[in-house]
Amino acid sequence: MSGVPSRARWGLVLLVGLGVLSLVAGRLFPDWLANTCPLGVDPMRPDRTVCELAFGGLWVSLAVGLCAGGLATLIGLLVAAVARLMGGAWEQTLLRGVDAVFALPDVLVVMVLQLAGQSLADAGHSGGLGPFGLMVASLALVGWAGPARMFRNRLATLEGQEFVAAARALGGGGTHVLRVHLWPALRPFALAVFLSRLPTAILTESTVSFFGIARMEPMSLGRYLGTSYAALIYEGGSRVVLPAWALLVLLVLGASLASQALSASPRKAT
Amino acid sequence: MAMLPLTTESDAKRQVSPELAASYKRDLGIGEPFGFLRPWEKLLRGERLGTSAQGITGDELARKLSGSVGVGLMALPLALAWALGFALVRTQWRKGRWAALGDIVPALAFGTPVFIPALLFAPAVVERGHMLPELTAALVTSIWPGIFLGTLVGDSLETELSRDYVRTALGKGLAPSTVLRRHVLPNVLPALLDAVGPVATTLLAGSFAAERVLGLPYFGQLYVLAVLNKQVAVVVVATTTFASLLVVVSLGVEVLRHVVDPRSREARA
Repeated sequence: MSGVPSRARWGLVLLVGLGVLSLVAGRLFPDWLANTCPLGVDPMRPDRTVCELAFGGLWVSLAVGLCAGGLATLIGLLVAAVARLMGGAWEQTLLRGVDAVFALPDVLVVMVLQLAGQSLADAGHSGGLGPFGLMVASLALVGWAGPARMFRNRLATLEGQEFVAAARALGGGGTHVLRVHLWPALRPFALAVFLSRLPTAILTESTVSFFGIARMEPMSLGRYLGTSYAALIYEGGSRVVLPAWALLVLLVLGASLASQALSASPRKAT
Repeated sequence: MAMLPLTTESDAKRQVSPELAASYKRDLGIGEPFGFLRPWEKLLRGERLGTSAQGITGDELARKLSGSVGVGLMALPLALAWALGFALVRTQWRKGRWAALGDIVPALAFGTPVFIPALLFAPAVVERGHMLPELTAALVTSIWPGIFLGTLVGDSLETELSRDYVRTALGKGLAPSTVLRRHVLPNVLPALLDAVGPVATTLLAGSFAAERVLGLPYFGQLYVLAVLNKQVAVVVVATTTFASLLVVVSLGVEVLRHVVDPRSREARA
C-alpha cells in the first residue's frame, strides 16, 4: 500500500470498511443489529428494522457491483486485447461497435435485458441464472464498452513505449508481449477501471430494482427503497430513505476516490 | 400521498398470460417477414399497441414523449446553472482548505440516484399539481448532469486560462472579461459539446425515475410500466423512439461542433 496515493487509500479503506460492516452487521450478527438499531422498525415491514434492511441491502448491492464490475472489466479487457491483436481495419470496426454499445443508456438497456431474461425464465429457459445472476449478466453486458475503450487506449499508449519495441525487435509475438510486458503495466490500471465500474453498476442496479423490475432477493438497497418509500407518508418516514441513501453515497464515494486516484497516479500510468 | 405510485407485486405480472402471449404474436409479427416493423405499422394506422388496458396509440406516445422532452428542456437550463455555479465555486475551493470538496461534491452528486431526491421532495409536491411535480422532476434530474458539466467546464477553463495566448491578450491591454468572452470561451466550448451527448442521455434516463416517483404520466412512466407489464411491443417502440431521439441529439451536437470548432473541420479535411 506504500505506493498507493493517499486518496486511493482512503477510498479503498472506505470500500473495504463498508464491505466488512455489511458482512458483520447484516450477515453474521443480524440479531444484534436488530436489537440495537436506533432507527426503529420499517413502517412497511413491522417485523424488520431499518438497520437490518439497509445493511442487508448494502451487502447485496455491493455483491452485485463487485461481480458485475469484475465481469464487465474482464470482458472489456478481452475485447481490447483482441482489438489490438487484430489491428488495422478490424480494430477500427470493432471500436465502432464498442462506441455504439457505449452510447446506450445503461438503465434502459438493463431494463430491456431484465424483461427478456425474466420472460425466458417464465418460459422455463432461465439457463440456471437466478435474479442475482441475471442482474450481474445484464450489468456486465451493458458495462463492458467503457472499460474496453479505456483498455484499448492504454494498450495503444503502452505499445508505443521503448521496452515494447525492444521486446518486439527481439522476436516477441503479440500474445507474448501482451502477457509478459503489457499485462504487468496494465494491472494497476485494470484495478482503477474495475473500481470505476463499481459505482455505475451499483447505481444502475439500484434504479432498476427501485422500479420493481429486478426480482432481487434478498433485497438490494434499490429494491428496499422501491418497496418501502411509501413510509414517507408517516411521521419521520425519511429515516427509511436517508440511511440507504447515505450507504449508497459512501459506497460510490469510496469507489470514485480510489478509482480516480489510481488512474491519475503517474507511477501507475506508465 | 395516496398518489405515490408504489411498486407492488400486482404491477409486476410475472407470468405470461395467454392474452399477453397472443398480443406478443399479433403486435410483434413473430414468424412473419419484416415482423419487427409491425408495431410501427400499427401505430401509423392509429391502432392501439399492446393489450387494451395498458396499450398505447401513436398520439398518446407522442404526447407522453413531448411531456418527457419538456421536463428535459426545463432541466437543461437548470443543469447549466448548476454547472456554472459549481465551476465558479470549485475554482474558489481549489485555492483554499476546501479543495477536497471539489472531489467530494461530484461523488456525492454521482452517488445519489435521481429517485432519492425525488423521494424526499415527493410528499410535498405530488398532490399540489400546477407544474410543481414537473419542475421538481427537472430540478432533481439536473443535479448530477449539472455538477458533471461544472467539473468539466471548470477544468477546461482552468487549463485555458493558464495558456500563453491569455497572458498575451491581457498583456496587450484587453479587459479580462473580453479575453474570457473572445478568446477563452470559444476554446472551452468544444469540451462542453463533448459532454452534451452523455448529459442528454442522463437527463432523459434520469427523468424516468423522477416521473415514476412523482407520478408524472409521461414517457418514463410509460416505459417502466410497459416493462413491468411485459408489453414487449410498447417497449420495442419506446426503446427505438428513445434511441432515435439520442441519435438526433448527437447529430445536432456534431453539426454544432462543425460550426463552432474550426479544429473539427480541419480534422475532417
